[in-house]
Amino acid sequence: MSAPFRTEEFLVNMGPHHPSTHGVCRFLLTMDGEVVVKAVPYIGYLHRALERICENRTYHQCLPVLDRFEYCTSMSCEYAFCLATEKLAGIQAPERAEYLRVIMLELNRIASHLIWYGTTSLDLGAVTPFLYGFREREDILDLFEMTCGQRLTYNYIRIGGVSRDIPPEFIPKLKEFIEKFPRKVDDYEKLLTENPIWIVRNKNVGILSKELALGYGVSGPALRASGVKFDLRRDDPYSLYDRFEFDIPTGTVGDCYDRYLVRMEEMRQSLRIVKQALEQLPAGDIKTKLPPNFKPPKGEVYSRIENSRGEMGIYIQSAGDSKKPLRVKMRGGSYNQLQVMPEIVKGGKIADLVAVMASMDIIMPEVDR
Amino acid sequence: MKKLLSAIKNLVVGLFTTGKHLGRHAVTVQYPTEKWTMPERSRGIVVLLSDKETGELNCTVCMLCMRACPTAAIDIQYDKDEKGKRILKDFVVDHGLCCFCGLCEEACNFAALKMATKYEFSTLNKEDLVWHTDKLQEVGRDVPYEKPERKKPEAKAAAKPAVKAEAPTEPPKDTATAETAVNPGKPSEELKPLTEENKENPGEGN
Repeated sequence: MSAPFRTEEFLVNMGPHHPSTHGVCRFLLTMDGEVVVKAVPYIGYLHRALERICENRTYHQCLPVLDRFEYCTSMSCEYAFCLATEKLAGIQAPERAEYLRVIMLELNRIASHLIWYGTTSLDLGAVTPFLYGFREREDILDLFEMTCGQRLTYNYIRIGGVSRDIPPEFIPKLKEFIEKFPRKVDDYEKLLTENPIWIVRNKNVGILSKELALGYGVSGPALRASGVKFDLRRDDPYSLYDRFEFDIPTGTVGDCYDRYLVRMEEMRQSLRIVKQALEQLPAGDIKTKLPPNFKPPKGEVYSRIENSRGEMGIYIQSAGDSKKPLRVKMRGGSYNQLQVMPEIVKGGKIADLVAVMASMDIIMPEVDR
Repeated sequence: MKKLLSAIKNLVVGLFTTGKHLGRHAVTVQYPTEKWTMPERSRGIVVLLSDKETGELNCTVCMLCMRACPTAAIDIQYDKDEKGKRILKDFVVDHGLCCFCGLCEEACNFAALKMATKYEFSTLNKEDLVWHTDKLQEVGRDVPYEKPERKKPEAKAAAKPAVKAEAPTEPPKDTATAETAVNPGKPSEELKPLTEENKENPGEGN
């Protein structure tokens, strides 16, 4: 009589240098064979004390630091900070500046979703979409570079406006981009949407229910894919978003495939906003003149915007007599999306964990700050 | 069977999309031999600009760039002549600390420094990233720029109250416009704590 077949659980470290963790995140996985029993994320590898650094800088000097908060959508970070400071000091940016901000924010959202599209497909084994996504992102980065001089750390949106007006060659190039981009999104969809391997890897994988998403404070495309129609651009409009017409795509099941579809549709909607903003773009000033020694009055403020990864919020406390903020707190959408992951990967395979992590679009600098 | 057919069909659709690129030529730029032309506004290394006629530096040692720098990458050392006017001794830019934000260029009222479109400055030594006046001036000689019109002293005096009206509470030493350069007073007290504090916080610019 042979001994009964005995199995036991074992621990696996996934990361911190795993290519599909998008930064440096470590998952401590308790495995039962190929099945994940328990997943615990360990964060902090990219902690740079950005909040503390901001507290040692003047308000203007904070902006280059904010660029590094969430580097896929630097414009949003700058804008969130400027919005909070403007609210605190009661500054209103000129209308042209607001339109330029909207154009830049939405282009940045497209660029960010293109990174997501490329890296997600790369994580799941499709190399071609990566090159496609980064090709169009390059066009957007060229637009940014000719406007503000940098490709990643823009430092473009300033308190009370934007740093520079767009150059004359910007608008023709943007029009060309608006012209060709819808065709490119169709191309992306042709590559993946109906692809049998893509469907097997994504459909009904990592289902995030509505209740779970709301319970963990998940926001952004991941929440909308679970069927909650919540978008700060519509529900708590900032800047000029109440002037534009756009749809908010939502999913039904909340699996990886829904998150994919929602993001693809969001790129189209963002382009719609850019188009409308370009048509309405007025002439005029681009910056409110601030005193050289800018000190916002005493008080505190929390402002939030819809980033490509969810709600991005900046909390600022001002002492009133200082050029530096007393306290800065940053909130990024990725943090909540990482926290909910252990719940939804339970019972799946390791390969599904990769798919879930990719589709959640987590970016570690935003989690660790 | 139906599933298989649709799978094959969609694989063909995907292949067709990628196949469109078969006939196109490559767009790769062979970097060391071929180079992009950088956009005019591109922010590369910091250089010092000099007057095109006299060849002298435009810098008036007003210290605005140093104060604007979020990473304390700029260090200016100066002497004073008998009238108390500042004379530039050494202008140091640590490109290892620089985060290329462009705030120094914006702070400058005299077109004294600029972030040029040049970007090749890698070295094997960390110390070589610290550039002093000579090198900064030499590299900046062929950088095109527009010199802002020099205001007459009367115009300056007229401009000052206008700035003050916007922010009545600010102490005069912080209205560091052109006057600071000729102000015989001590260097701004604020200058030093800020720089030291900044240096206590390594790790920015990552």
